Amino acid sequence: MEEEEKDRNIRNVHSGILSPLRRWGTKWSLWPCHFLTSCCGVELAHAGACGFDMERLGTLNMGISRQTNFIIVEGTITRKMARALRIVWEQMPEPRFVNVIGACGQRGGIFWNSYNVTYPWKIVPVDFFIPGCPITPEGLIRGVRAIQEKIDGKDITTIKFKKVELPSGGELEERMVPTTPKLLAPTPEVKIDVKKSVDWAFGNELKGRLKRELEGLYESITITDTNRIAIRATQEKFMDVAQRLSDIMKMDHVKNVNVIDVPHERKYIVEYMVSSYSVDELMPVITTVFTEIRREAEPEFPSLTSLWESANYSEREMHDFFGVRFEGNEGMKGKFLLAPDTPETPLRKDFKIEEERYVIEEGVPLTPPIDPPQYIPHPSSVSEEEYLKMPAYEDVVEEAEKNDEFVAFIGPHHAGSGHLRWVMRMKGDVIVDVIPDPGYVHRGIEKLAENRLYIQNIPLAERPNITDCINMNLGYVRAIEDALGTEVPERAKYMRTIMAELSRIGAFFYDMGIFPLFMGHSSGFMYSFAIREMVLELIVRMTGSRCTPSFIIPGGIRRDIPDDVLDLTRNFTTAINKRLKKFENIFVNNPVLISRMKDVGVLTREEAIKFGIVGPFLRASGVEYDVRKVAPYEVYDKLDWEATTGDAGDCLGRIFGRLEEIKQSVRIVKQAVDAVREMPRGNVISEEILGDYKEASGDIKGYLYNVYGNLVLPKGEWTSVTESARGTVLYSIISDGESNVPYRVRVITPCWMNLRGIIEASKGGRVADFWTVYASFGYFPPEADR
Amino acid sequence: MMEMINGLMNTMLSNQVSIPLIEPMLDMLQGIPMMGYMIALVLWKPFFAIVICPGLTVGGVSLLFFPWIERKLCARIQWRVGPHEIVWWLGGVIQILADTLRFLFQEVIVHKDAHKRYFLQFPFLTFIAFLLPLLFIPAGNIVAIKTPYGLQIVLLLLCLFPLFVMGLGWASNSRFAYIGTVREAFVYFAEEVPFIIAALAMIILYKTSDLTLMASEQCIPGIILNPIAALTFFIAAAMATSRMPFEIAESDQELCAGPHVEYSGIAFGLIYVLCYEKGYIISGLMTVLFLGGGAGPAIPYLGDLSGAFWFILKTYFVMTTLFVLRTIYPRYRLDQGLKIGWSPMLIMALIALAVSLVEVAVI
Repeated sequence: MEEEEKDRNIRNVHSGILSPLRRWGTKWSLWPCHFLTSCCGVELAHAGACGFDMERLGTLNMGISRQTNFIIVEGTITRKMARALRIVWEQMPEPRFVNVIGACGQRGGIFWNSYNVTYPWKIVPVDFFIPGCPITPEGLIRGVRAIQEKIDGKDITTIKFKKVELPSGGELEERMVPTTPKLLAPTPEVKIDVKKSVDWAFGNELKGRLKRELEGLYESITITDTNRIAIRATQEKFMDVAQRLSDIMKMDHVKNVNVIDVPHERKYIVEYMVSSYSVDELMPVITTVFTEIRREAEPEFPSLTSLWESANYSEREMHDFFGVRFEGNEGMKGKFLLAPDTPETPLRKDFKIEEERYVIEEGVPLTPPIDPPQYIPHPSSVSEEEYLKMPAYEDVVEEAEKNDEFVAFIGPHHAGSGHLRWVMRMKGDVIVDVIPDPGYVHRGIEKLAENRLYIQNIPLAERPNITDCINMNLGYVRAIEDALGTEVPERAKYMRTIMAELSRIGAFFYDMGIFPLFMGHSSGFMYSFAIREMVLELIVRMTGSRCTPSFIIPGGIRRDIPDDVLDLTRNFTTAINKRLKKFENIFVNNPVLISRMKDVGVLTREEAIKFGIVGPFLRASGVEYDVRKVAPYEVYDKLDWEATTGDAGDCLGRIFGRLEEIKQSVRIVKQAVDAVREMPRGNVISEEILGDYKEASGDIKGYLYNVYGNLVLPKGEWTSVTESARGTVLYSIISDGESNVPYRVRVITPCWMNLRGIIEASKGGRVADFWTVYASFGYFPPEADR
Repeated sequence: MMEMINGLMNTMLSNQVSIPLIEPMLDMLQGIPMMGYMIALVLWKPFFAIVICPGLTVGGVSLLFFPWIERKLCARIQWRVGPHEIVWWLGGVIQILADTLRFLFQEVIVHKDAHKRYFLQFPFLTFIAFLLPLLFIPAGNIVAIKTPYGLQIVLLLLCLFPLFVMGLGWASNSRFAYIGTVREAFVYFAEEVPFIIAALAMIILYKTSDLTLMASEQCIPGIILNPIAALTFFIAAAMATSRMPFEIAESDQELCAGPHVEYSGIAFGLIYVLCYEKGYIISGLMTVLFLGGGAGPAIPYLGDLSGAFWFILKTYFVMTTLFVLRTIYPRYRLDQGLKIGWSPMLIMALIALAVSLVEVAVI
């Protein structure tokens, strides 16, 4: 960033005869354009909602860059988003101010060595930084105050911390310099069908059936865990195996498409995880079909989209990550998730990202220098028109013009787009097609996870979806526990259930806050965020953090929850009723809203299965699939609750289904709290995993690194499915059995699967219906992009 | 020369606003040379109507404070505080002044694709054109232009509003502005027909279209005489001023404020207050037609201003109701909005017409 650009706006408000008036007006009228760039946006929403009410300072959120004068950059700026940030900044009239919140905006935060992250301060001149991951709404408001002070003439750029002299106890001991704790096997053996003897009667039966049906096509069929079966096939016969699984075994959707790079054996492993919604006993079973292909620059593989449409977007993603061309998938022309200037095929093992340093060396910067994208600042070689132009889908525009259609490019900075871009083709007021352009918040957590210890990945796992942090955390931890065969203490299981359900309630109210906003109904937003504030308060008291507690660890939870907080939780289950009633009256039962949602964006049962929709949205279409019922974990099978299903499959069904689910969640919390209150105090971390550190069983503080630092998972692939608020979240960890970092981590988040549903449900609807459909799916872009 | 001035003086003196409260002060000021003429001019009813009430001063003050009232009220309904910190002991009452100053000193961006001249002219033209109906709306017995065709002229001028908004959108030459402009045109047609018919029903009922007479002849307010017409008029007003649930053309989350998406700085500032201006005028009209205009218990100290006082009070009441709708309703889709305009509202307007005819025939 050039020096002259910095503080230009501040000089600007200080110049001229009328500058006192100008300063005063600008100071009290800082309107942020809600340019949601990352997960800190959740806290921005909280700052704007009734709990903190940013409007007190005259700070009114407005969606249009031309009419605002303030950008709050919420966290990570990816390479794809960088261009959008610059465009928005260029669009704004002077004087304009930029506030960067969150740790990612300063040095990349937790994503500091990601291949897709860049620094906002290299793209636009920043006036003030607020640290935190994520920042709290109070912090954000403090940032607004700081800008006001800066306009008044104070020279500040970030929050100043006090320096405190710690009392030292005499001479410091000479200690050995810690080395990197990572243990990496030089030539790891990557095997995803490691046999495990489990007590699973149906599995053996299923194995026999598969052997009969796939006679002569497979190479091996292995039971790798309870409810997990792996089928190895050759590349030639892969298609036939898939065909039989789809036709005869009625496996109707793909849960995951994964590629594993094994450079030292010159191969890629391509795997599809398939399962069935139509056959009840196959519902909990995940069948992995995989094959090995030769490692080339751009290997080809037949696409399975003709059998399983739900694999479509994941195949495109794998094309971006590994360069594997899935023949038959129409999205192989360009990049889907990644930006044009992101490094090619970043998830291949030979693409190395910066290693963590544990020792500060003289002259070596703590974080790697990241070059800003090439187009910033304005390069002289490019004309004004070309500068900062978002990539336009020229073929789409051409085709649309031929058919007398109108094309609108919506997002990534749009009051109703979230952090992704839609290319909407419409004929009159009817949507012909919507093309998604995701990846604006793609921070590459899968690559990062390969370079960190298992325990270090917990914070990473919950960052994609901080609105439903506990369930994301739980999913990852369960995959590790499955691998280690750890039994979690009963008390911890109950605690986890309580927190997971609170988190589900929180995520529901987040979505129910965004939905009214898209309908232009700010009261609904305020009411639901008021309730969410209560949920967050509980989570803070339990864990100490609003959105990113990282509280669930392999073998239990970090520490016991005190009784008074449990009592408070019990009170919450009754206190929520009154507010929920008010919320329902103003929003859910609003006649205008019902007329907007009824019969809009219908997905039939067949369509929902075909496109691989998950979670409450799948249930709204009439599929009775809830992981908590189908393959119960924690204590869900011990409590009295019901899974909700609907049959309408429209927006109203999706909303009512989730509303009903929240009432069930409250029921679960109530029962679980009552159960815990009667339980004697005891361990919350499994002693098995603690080993020599049994004294940490009530509180892991001080022992975390000792206990988990050298955690190594047994060889094989460990997959966990967890019901998060918006659907099934799937973690698949591949371990080589020697390293204490995972060989590959694959995360499939519900929103990523539901993206297809939004597109299909909105086709043929009215233009305004698109936002109804979009919001009814509770789409949260960071979660989808990961 | 003197004769002309004296003639003018006599005309003005014969039509003065009488305010007993400030009469002693005026008597004192009469002693200052030339001040007599000035006072006569200011208190001359037409001039007073244009400059003070219901015209520029009251209108301007409304524009400056009404958004604050709206924001505060909505905030209350939404469990929060609203603008507060700017002068905390007055509840942030000058918030809109700060916003105005900010807009005033901000850069006005004319993007490359815009039609530069129209793009810059339209906000100002629109702002001025929107003020014209105020000339014909009486506040009590103070009115700028008294004509037997008052209502028709006001309706005609109100019909100009959407044309200007479409002009804004067209000059912007942006995709969202284009969609917004088209939507505006559709909604305008759907809303205008029932709106005019509802007003027509009141002409039939009162047997006059002189707004002053219409207001003063309501011994029973129009809203009781013909509630259906009042309801139709109110819904049409909500549509005309783009209020929820009919904020279809400007829908913030879909089209980023539609026709105004490209405007910045003071040009946007003017557009931002347009909807309040529109709201003020239509609420004023509604007050005259259905709520008895300036009728109300006379306040002796205020004299002629008593009527104006009641008029403003009622107008604010209607305006508040109109604006607070946004906390209650989400927005309709375009086709739903049009359907409402063309079927239930049109039918309601026709029923209102019939009600008026029957009432006139019976009484």
